[in-house]
Amino acid sequence: MAEERFGESAACWRFDAELPAYLEGEAAPQVTAHARECQFCEVVLADLEELRSASRALPREEPSRAVWANIRTALAAEGIIHEPVRAWQRWFGFLGVSHSPAPIGALAGLLILASMLLVPSKDLRRVGSIGGASEGARVAIASIGYPGQDSDLLRTVQDLEGSFQARRMSLEPSVKAIYEKSLESLNTSIRECTESVQREPANILAREYLLAAYTRKAEVLASALEFDAR
Amino acid sequence: MPANQVPKEATSVLDRYLKANARERQQSWQILFLFLIPAGLLGAAGVAHLEKTIETIANPRISLANLQGQVVVRGWDKSQVHATWVGLSPRVELDTEVLPHKGPAEKVHFSTHVLDPLVSGKDCAADYTLDVPVNSSLEIRSPQGSVQIEKLQGDASVESVGGTISVTDVAGHLSVRSVGGNIEIIRPSGRVEAYSITGNLHFVSPTSSKLRGSTTSGKITYEGDFAPGGDYTLSAYSGDMEILCPPSASFELNAKSVRGRLENAVAITPRRHAPSPPATGYSLLGTHNTGEATVELTSYSGTIRIRQQH
Repeated sequence: MAEERFGESAACWRFDAELPAYLEGEAAPQVTAHARECQFCEVVLADLEELRSASRALPREEPSRAVWANIRTALAAEGIIHEPVRAWQRWFGFLGVSHSPAPIGALAGLLILASMLLVPSKDLRRVGSIGGASEGARVAIASIGYPGQDSDLLRTVQDLEGSFQARRMSLEPSVKAIYEKSLESLNTSIRECTESVQREPANILAREYLLAAYTRKAEVLASALEFDAR
Repeated sequence: MPANQVPKEATSVLDRYLKANARERQQSWQILFLFLIPAGLLGAAGVAHLEKTIETIANPRISLANLQGQVVVRGWDKSQVHATWVGLSPRVELDTEVLPHKGPAEKVHFSTHVLDPLVSGKDCAADYTLDVPVNSSLEIRSPQGSVQIEKLQGDASVESVGGTISVTDVAGHLSVRSVGGNIEIIRPSGRVEAYSITGNLHFVSPTSSKLRGSTTSGKITYEGDFAPGGDYTLSAYSGDMEILCPPSASFELNAKSVRGRLENAVAITPRRHAPSPPATGYSLLGTHNTGEATVELTSYSGTIRIRQQH
């Protein structure tokens, strides 16, 4: 069949080129005309038509809220969209407490900012990350045998953590406490597993726990961002 | 008598009338207050109570989104959803979507709509009690509230951030996730997936043939038998794990821990050709009775205990 198709290449190539437009509903009389003449292209067209009609009958699945939250976070991070900001948030925005809903929150933000400015820069870096992956952890996970996957996962976790840090002030205290406790627990497991893997590179179980901890951390951060987006 | 002078008799009559009228008005106000005060108190409490009954197909898809409060869902034999909703604040209202708009519903979605986006905590709370067709499939999101599901043949998916989740007698595929809440699953018979980060997992008398449970710092307790041919995987990081099974349980065990201890009190026959144990840590591979189910237990630093039920 394939040889037959190669035999009538010019018409078949044109059929191929015009097929996407035809399937999207554009007028392309050459497509149907050619399908009537070429058995191979007729079968291709019939299959695609059948797929199209079958897919129309499928129920429409709504993507999970986590998907929307992640898309929104990515778009906001790239500056493509901007979150709506209230007037008072704009006033306090330059102080870095833009998501705190109450004036007392703004005041607390000011105090925190003031104390952070008074802390030496080395300590500030430590405070700034909520127990995020240390440099040692990055080196370790990059060298434990899943180079492609792990670096992607690490980047994802870092991106999500950046978004979470920017938004955590807007979370209700009780919810924030749950997320922070969970993240602390996961950061502990990341730190301990990293040490295990560094000590014993052949320890498969420790590697699995390390990978699982990063995956869980990404899920928890995505859940926190989704919660914030409610 | 001057024209502007009122006779004494008339004054006393007028006085009596005014006094009587004042008493009457006072009594009326007292009666009104008797009714108004409780009504005002109820209004101030802001409790709203709604009930709805929706005709459905035998296996509808029910979804529910509630921020805070208690959600109770029970399966029943009717092709109806009966919902009782109690809004605990005047700042929340119930939204219901039913599809299709005519005829028995195939999909029903309940959500608590917060009228003021700045409110939080208990001002967002609402309690739900749903009776649903026993073959319904459920999807519940209750970030800060508790969820309780009972007697359901269909699938159920529950997500929470800090609320406790309790599921009893569910036969369909069960997917339960909570970031910090405890999860209790009693007598499941379908596939089970339960995940938490800091919450505890408690499985009681499962008859499922596929069960997965994972927590980071919470504790895992499994009480019950293992179905022949079943596949059970439990994983904790720093939390302890306790397996309590009957003497008749038949399973092949693969228990491993990086730094935690393994305490086994059941008779395990070691495998003849067991894979080489890890260089460090603890592992136990073997068969209890005829090894009909597969049980995989792992921990990083938590203790794994395997004991027999009395």
